[in-house]
Amino acid sequence: MRPFVYEQPADISAAVAIASRFTTNDDQPTRANAQFIAGGTNLADYMKLGVAEPNRLLDLNRLKESGLRQIRVTDDGIRFGALVRMGEAADHAEVKRRYPVIADSLRLAASGQIRNMASLAGNILQRTRCEYFRETSWQCNKRVPGSGCAAMEGFNRQHAVLGGSDACIATYHGDFAQALIALDAVVHAEGSRGARSIPFAKLHRQPGDTPHIETDLAADEIITAIAVPAVPWARRSLYLKIRDRESYAFALASAAVALDLDGETVREARIALGGVATVPWRAGAAEQSLQGKKLDETSAEAAADAAFAQAQPRQHNAFKIELGKRTLVRALLETRDMKA
Amino acid sequence: MSQPSALSTNGLSRRKFMAGTVSAAAAAPLLASRAEAATPVAAEPKLRQPVVTSLRINEQPYELSLDTRTSLLDALRDHAGLTGTKKGCDHGQCGACTVLVDGKRVLSCLSFAVMNEGKDITTVEGLASSDGKLHPMQQAFIDHDAFQCGYCTPGQILSAIGCVNEGHAESENDIREYMSGNICRCAAYPNIVAAILQARDETKGA
Amino acid sequence: MDAAAPRPKENMGEPLPRVDARLKVTGQAHYPADLPIANIAYGALATSSIAKGKVTKLRLDDARAVPGLLDIVTYGDMDKVDKPKFGNSGATSIGPLHDRTIFHDGQIVALAVAETFEAAEEAARLIRAEYEEEKPTATFDSPGTATIPAAGKSPLFKEDVKAGDFDAAYADAAVKIDQRYSTPTQHHNPIELFSTTAFWEGDQLTVHEPSQNVTGWKVELARQLKIDPAKVRIVSPFIGGAFGSKGPMTPRTAIVAVAAKRLGRPVRCVTSRMQAFGTQTYRAETRHRIRIGAGRDGHITAFAHEGWEVTSRPDPYVVGGTSATGRMYDYGSVLTHVSLVQADRNTPGYMRSPPETPYVYALENAMDEMAVALGMDPVEFRRINEPKTEPIGKKPFSSRSLIRCYDEAAEAFGWAKRDPKIGAMRDGEWLVGMGCATAIYPTAVAPCAARVRLTVDGDVRLQCGSHEIGTGVRTVAGQMASERLGVSIDRISVEMGDSSLPPAPVSGGSISTASVCSAVLMACDAIRTKLYAAATAEGGPLAGSHNEELELAGGKIVAKSGASAKVEDVLKAMQVGAIEEYAEFAPKGATPDALKKLYAGTPEFHGGDQDEDSVKYAFGAEFVEVRINRHTREIRVPRIVGAFAAGRIMNTRTARSQLMGGMIWGIGQALQEATEIDRRYARYVNRDLQDYLVPVNADIKDLQVILVPEVDPAVNPAGVKGLGELGNVGTAAAVASAVYHATGKRIRDLPIRIEQLLV
Repeated sequence: MRPFVYEQPADISAAVAIASRFTTNDDQPTRANAQFIAGGTNLADYMKLGVAEPNRLLDLNRLKESGLRQIRVTDDGIRFGALVRMGEAADHAEVKRRYPVIADSLRLAASGQIRNMASLAGNILQRTRCEYFRETSWQCNKRVPGSGCAAMEGFNRQHAVLGGSDACIATYHGDFAQALIALDAVVHAEGSRGARSIPFAKLHRQPGDTPHIETDLAADEIITAIAVPAVPWARRSLYLKIRDRESYAFALASAAVALDLDGETVREARIALGGVATVPWRAGAAEQSLQGKKLDETSAEAAADAAFAQAQPRQHNAFKIELGKRTLVRALLETRDMKA
Repeated sequence: MSQPSALSTNGLSRRKFMAGTVSAAAAAPLLASRAEAATPVAAEPKLRQPVVTSLRINEQPYELSLDTRTSLLDALRDHAGLTGTKKGCDHGQCGACTVLVDGKRVLSCLSFAVMNEGKDITTVEGLASSDGKLHPMQQAFIDHDAFQCGYCTPGQILSAIGCVNEGHAESENDIREYMSGNICRCAAYPNIVAAILQARDETKGA
Repeated sequence: MDAAAPRPKENMGEPLPRVDARLKVTGQAHYPADLPIANIAYGALATSSIAKGKVTKLRLDDARAVPGLLDIVTYGDMDKVDKPKFGNSGATSIGPLHDRTIFHDGQIVALAVAETFEAAEEAARLIRAEYEEEKPTATFDSPGTATIPAAGKSPLFKEDVKAGDFDAAYADAAVKIDQRYSTPTQHHNPIELFSTTAFWEGDQLTVHEPSQNVTGWKVELARQLKIDPAKVRIVSPFIGGAFGSKGPMTPRTAIVAVAAKRLGRPVRCVTSRMQAFGTQTYRAETRHRIRIGAGRDGHITAFAHEGWEVTSRPDPYVVGGTSATGRMYDYGSVLTHVSLVQADRNTPGYMRSPPETPYVYALENAMDEMAVALGMDPVEFRRINEPKTEPIGKKPFSSRSLIRCYDEAAEAFGWAKRDPKIGAMRDGEWLVGMGCATAIYPTAVAPCAARVRLTVDGDVRLQCGSHEIGTGVRTVAGQMASERLGVSIDRISVEMGDSSLPPAPVSGGSISTASVCSAVLMACDAIRTKLYAAATAEGGPLAGSHNEELELAGGKIVAKSGASAKVEDVLKAMQVGAIEEYAEFAPKGATPDALKKLYAGTPEFHGGDQDEDSVKYAFGAEFVEVRINRHTREIRVPRIVGAFAAGRIMNTRTARSQLMGGMIWGIGQALQEATEIDRRYARYVNRDLQDYLVPVNADIKDLQVILVPEVDPAVNPAGVKGLGELGNVGTAAAVASAVYHATGKRIRDLPIRIEQLLV
């Protein structure tokens, strides 16, 4: 690991100020010399692997703003402070009651220990677990822009079938983000150019020709909160995660689903897919295909077909198209059958 | 049985000490810069400058002069002389390094030690009472043969205590799910579940 | 009584808790990298990123500039020591720093040594190798493989067994199958990382390293370093899981020893989880073709098993499981052939039930297919083909309780409630399948030495250079001494894992309990003989009694007549403070050199298929229930029952735990474990526990182990058959059988994954 200077800024403005001093406007947050750390579960791992090489770590855990550590439930929805830990949010009674899809997505992610460490903001910013990205001796356009992609013709069973490019097919492995994008969450951030709100769907960037650009954030910008609007019918929602073993594994395919039903007819559906895409993936075409329809196996299958219409398989991951469809069908039917 | 002649004792590490008294390995590079490390924090920190970190480990105060890169796991093992906490992957994939920080179970391999300034750390060495009476979870692991090689065991036990205190040990299925971050390659899983069920109520009171 | 401590049945010992349990739950069990050492320096490996070629240049300047760096050991620095040897105690003949040739991905190119772990690791990452790269051969079907016959390439695999005229019998068979099966590369992944700590005191070298073979390593390391084995000590008091991975010594050990010598300081090198995939051994990838022919009555008349196994270019590691599969059933005729396929890979090695796991998987999956082809219940099919003698040499089995295992397991599992129709069983959205398979493992035993001392205070010290890898061998050895000397287990200290102790064989092949307990038994009986002689001598307290009328219990010698004498008093009368006996056990049929070879670290194995009088195997039957989601097709194993017969069970607690662990390993092998290789580069891709999946707690729900009583005095004096490797044989085939029952899909390539059931 590269050596680094460790600092503990006292508040958000101090953190932003230090970050501004040691980064430039052109720096990507994941490639800057100065980087923020909270839980460390993703960054410490990547620093040990030599994938992330900051020479200055700004520890956000001592920031004095108390809102960073709070979950606030109001009529407008729910607001998660950025430093709230995954485990705390997963166990929060109102989160479980109002947004089962959020609680599920957190509970099914990682392990108990990691959920106790990982902050919510850090979790949504977690970087891909692509094997070729993790090991620095492979070619990787995300790690070393322009170096090539060893995964494209390599062992790519874990890789994305949606949102990929010729430069990168690395999967976004997070779970929580699928719930957030489905529920139209908003991310609040503060940086040297002030505070702003970013619709969740704009936070992550598809790889395109620049897979090293992973998010919309500047290197000196800190996520302060994640806000989820009030969606009363989100009580009928769930997160289904399919994996090779029962727990502590990344999704081969997952689906976040929330349904507003009138009897068996869909007034509105919210659908996001995980494990199959390069970024948190809102399945708009699938949502539209269900609108006004009776939800049954046939309409669910049609929605699944719509969701994967643009999917691009590679040698080892073609099964994810079929699996992703079936995951969505099962998630839709199980959500329909929830007692909400 | 088979200690080398040049050993340091764990007894020493129980007391407050600076790195170098027990961990000779860390002593050489760190001693030279101790004066620097001890200067007030207001000074601009420099690369490769050791950071003096205060930890309470098993209710004993420790002051360790550490490389910022040192994980909490390596600080415990190589600097505090507490080798009960194990390194199984060093990347957050196995759970062998689980300790309690301020009462919550975490992975010490993914935490830089300097981030734990002022925190209360509990390791497997701190569970039995001073008269040698085992923590109910330790006793339950013996009773149910909840290990074979024993390497993942300290992490399993700390994780089990954390799991119970989180309220995630209310059913066998809960225990299985919430203990899945601790891999036991010998695969003592059913026995681990039985041990946690046995120790659950007593652990809550502990 | 709780599940962990089964009530002993006939010929079973008490479920005593492990003698080292307290150390293990308090963090006081010191694994090799835990042993505290002053003034230690830290080592970190730099490894190759290509699989074939030459290192043309090694750039060390950046690494040398790292503050705290002490030394870099690389090409040229090992010239004064000998290269490693393959076989016995050596994992590979590749001396990575003796030669700039790269034989495989992840080969060691340098060891960086520094004042701190952080500095060593930083420096190792900064070492840059430049290569003259050649196109590597990854595995089966890759261009450039060489295929050679396996027979004779390993002392453990002398020949391709055969019996009768397979071709004729197969041609005539009324019902037949001809199918191909495969198993992937797998890595042991014990949770303890591999490590070497070396320090010199004058010309005496001590190495702390997790080892299943301290005596063998002592001799082999001394050979490489060209020093007297008496000057080398290997210390490995606790081992954090082994499964075969710590049986052969790898080249790292000598490199770290050389580094410690150069620096004049102790050096510790803990290999990273990722580096272990290339620097340690692994289970070879295998392929199989099986042909079975039978009459319509279900009697097998023809059986052929052909195997292909990947190995490295320089080392002919043989898996070779046809000796067991060729003897499993009453086949009529048998034809086998095993081939090695050489590729640019690191050398494979032993991994839990090395030959049986892949070979019996293939056989048992084929047996299930054959039962389907015959329209016969798979248990019934095996019953019909139960042999009286093994088909190859027509020798009897020393004992064989397979059918009893099937009966007991089937009963506990509820096999009778299985609807044999494919896909007939459902539970809501879940397809339910049930399957079964046979487990078999050869019962071998090796020479072993032990020293036992009984003191006048009633304490016993037992010393034996075997290895506590989690099997409970410390506990069962103590139990044997407790039983023979009539001393309570808490008065017995057991010392193992040190090459300065009396030598024991490698802890592999499930021989430890049998070999160690036989040696302990011998030492204890020698103590008894001395005590009895003193007690029954003229004027002694039990004068006139014969030895066979005496027992040792509760610190007393007790005669049938009821008369007794305190051991303490007998020792006092002998005017000694203790009796110490050093026993050297050699199994029946041992060669005159057997004990010499034990001390040389090359012990001979007896039993299994090697003996003249009979063949010796342990058996079991496993039943599994799988559930497969109707939509998404993920496979779960909510229930598994195994019944096993393995001669005398020394301790039902440790025995059950080992079998349970094996069964769970079997589930992992069926559904999860595979090391993936990038075929273009012959490089491992999923080199960590994030991507190399093994079972977690939530994968295992209802698991039952049944210990079936069995008495077999022929196997060894202790009457013990090994069982550490029995539990995971057959499991994967039972899962495949259940998956077929649930879905109608016959999966022949492991692991069975979701994608195979989606199509």
